[in-house]
Amino acid sequence: MAARKTERLVNLTILLLSSRRFVPREKIRETVEGYRGLGDESFNRAFERDKDELRAMGIPVETGSDERFFDDEPGYRIVRTDFELPPIEFTGEEAMVLGLAATVWQQASVADQTSHALAKLRAAGVDPDPSRLRALAPRLSAREAAFDPLWQAMIDRQTAQFDYKSGQRRTVQPWRLVLRNNSTYLLAFDCDRQAPRMFKLSRISGTVSTIGRPGAFVPPDDAALSGHVDALIPKSDLEVVLAIRTERAPALRRRAEQVASSIELPAGFEAYRLQLNAANAVAEIASHGADVIVLEPAGLRAGVLDQLREVVAAHADTPLRAVGEQP
Amino acid sequence: MTSQEQVARLLAMVPYLQAHPGIGVAEVAADYGITRRQLLADLNVLWMCGLPGGLPDDLIEIDMDAAESEGVIHLSNADYLSRPMRFTPDEAVALLVALQAVAEMTTGPVREAARSAARKLSEATGQQDLVWLSVSTGDERIRETLASAIDRRQRVRLTYDGAARGVTSYPEVDPAEIQMRDSIAYLQAWSLERQDWRTYRLDRIVDVALTGQSADKHGSAPELPEGWFDQSNGEVTLELAASATWVVDYYPAREIQNHPDGSATVRFAVADPAWLDSLLLRLGDQARVRSPEGVGSAAAAAAREAIERTETLFG
Repeated sequence: MAARKTERLVNLTILLLSSRRFVPREKIRETVEGYRGLGDESFNRAFERDKDELRAMGIPVETGSDERFFDDEPGYRIVRTDFELPPIEFTGEEAMVLGLAATVWQQASVADQTSHALAKLRAAGVDPDPSRLRALAPRLSAREAAFDPLWQAMIDRQTAQFDYKSGQRRTVQPWRLVLRNNSTYLLAFDCDRQAPRMFKLSRISGTVSTIGRPGAFVPPDDAALSGHVDALIPKSDLEVVLAIRTERAPALRRRAEQVASSIELPAGFEAYRLQLNAANAVAEIASHGADVIVLEPAGLRAGVLDQLREVVAAHADTPLRAVGEQP
Repeated sequence: MTSQEQVARLLAMVPYLQAHPGIGVAEVAADYGITRRQLLADLNVLWMCGLPGGLPDDLIEIDMDAAESEGVIHLSNADYLSRPMRFTPDEAVALLVALQAVAEMTTGPVREAARSAARKLSEATGQQDLVWLSVSTGDERIRETLASAIDRRQRVRLTYDGAARGVTSYPEVDPAEIQMRDSIAYLQAWSLERQDWRTYRLDRIVDVALTGQSADKHGSAPELPEGWFDQSNGEVTLELAASATWVVDYYPAREIQNHPDGSATVRFAVADPAWLDSLLLRLGDQARVRSPEGVGSAAAAAAREAIERTETLFG
């Protein structure tokens, strides 16, 4: 059954592609094996569906007529230059990285799209062989359920709707997906707020739906959008001086400059000056426990002490035991 | 499989097979990611396709005997399908993003090749890359040194800032593979001290020095499993306040129960107890340990020590 349908679609494609002129509907019905013998209604249904399927695959089926004065019966054709991949040549090195690129996407939907693309390149004479790059293994996968529908809507330029955070329904034009720090964000035009907004995909709940037609908008180019990503990078707006135990807290030491301390430090500690994000500074410093002490400013030191007291209150009332140890 | 998928594959396969006369069934099946059986079924469909007219000369010619018994494919009489179809937008964008990922984690000529391939693809398809990737790949010079050490099979000593324990270490390793999982790049290397494979984040490798020795053979490096945090020796269940539920975006959870007030009960695999201590210190009042009882006490002890130190210094 499926094989016969495939056969019919391939034959229809070949017929429309091989003809310079528009092929009238009746001629198609007589010529293509799978249509012959169908009643009027079955033929119409089958033909309409087949045409839609070919178009959905990206095959440009045109409707029109060669008869200038008798255009009552429409015909169909596929213009070869619109159908065929234009000439494209890759160097050996480029073909090699294309082979590696084919292994990047891990999630089935996008991985399929990449392998279809590679199949077309192979058919155009490209030989993508990544074996010389075997020491490299780049992998991309987005775990969020919202990724697939938003990926498709972004590429099709179709308006999307989803529930964000605590159930507010949002209507957006998806412009870009941003992969950063193992999270995926959507940069989109928020139709209700009439402004660009950044959405975190893990905060989208329920299903993503699309409304309206594909090609509904044109996203701005990269240069016009670059400012929006800066919002994702925390600002370093607080200068601090910390005492850090030798060889500990490398994440802090790496962006710090060692300085002389104005007070005497405990043995094994050195003083460092660095910039932190004011909103995260208390949590970040507290996470290092007894390896980091705030020297300046005093307000931050008090904030860290408060947080450390909370930790004691939250976790100290139980006996000591290591993770994985049986009670 | 839908007919659409099969049609798309067949339309790509006809020009491919014409350009590679006598190619092996196994090779074609591998290139298209299908089984030998599916490939033979594809050929059986193609065998019935061709120009209208229904005469034997009009149909695509395939030597089915050779395909089935000798495993080689000869396809001809299909001049009208000598080029593949154009890329659909999703195919072009998927490949452009993948090339960007390759460019992000490489250096030198490989990176240049990834960029120029993307440029050509973009020109030929009229599509642009719609994903912004920001990969933590660390220092370019370190990546270059590691890549060349892998190529030449050289042993290296890393200066590594371990995050979970917050300590700098100097492991001697045989580097094997640079891997990227989503937006973080890793070195997969054989640790001489542990006599086992170890994974290092590239952005935490501060320095690489050649030891002058050559690397031993250890077979192929393991792939990073999905959520490789799971190489764990324990589990913990935490009650997280609404303001702390961001944690599940950063650390893969085994189970999440969301509560109506926005708080959540979350079960995590714990690969290293130091990770849990650091997380509890970071969250303060926003997290409680639900089970196992007592695993928060190390964090509490560290907090007490930090309070004492601070009070000793500042009275």
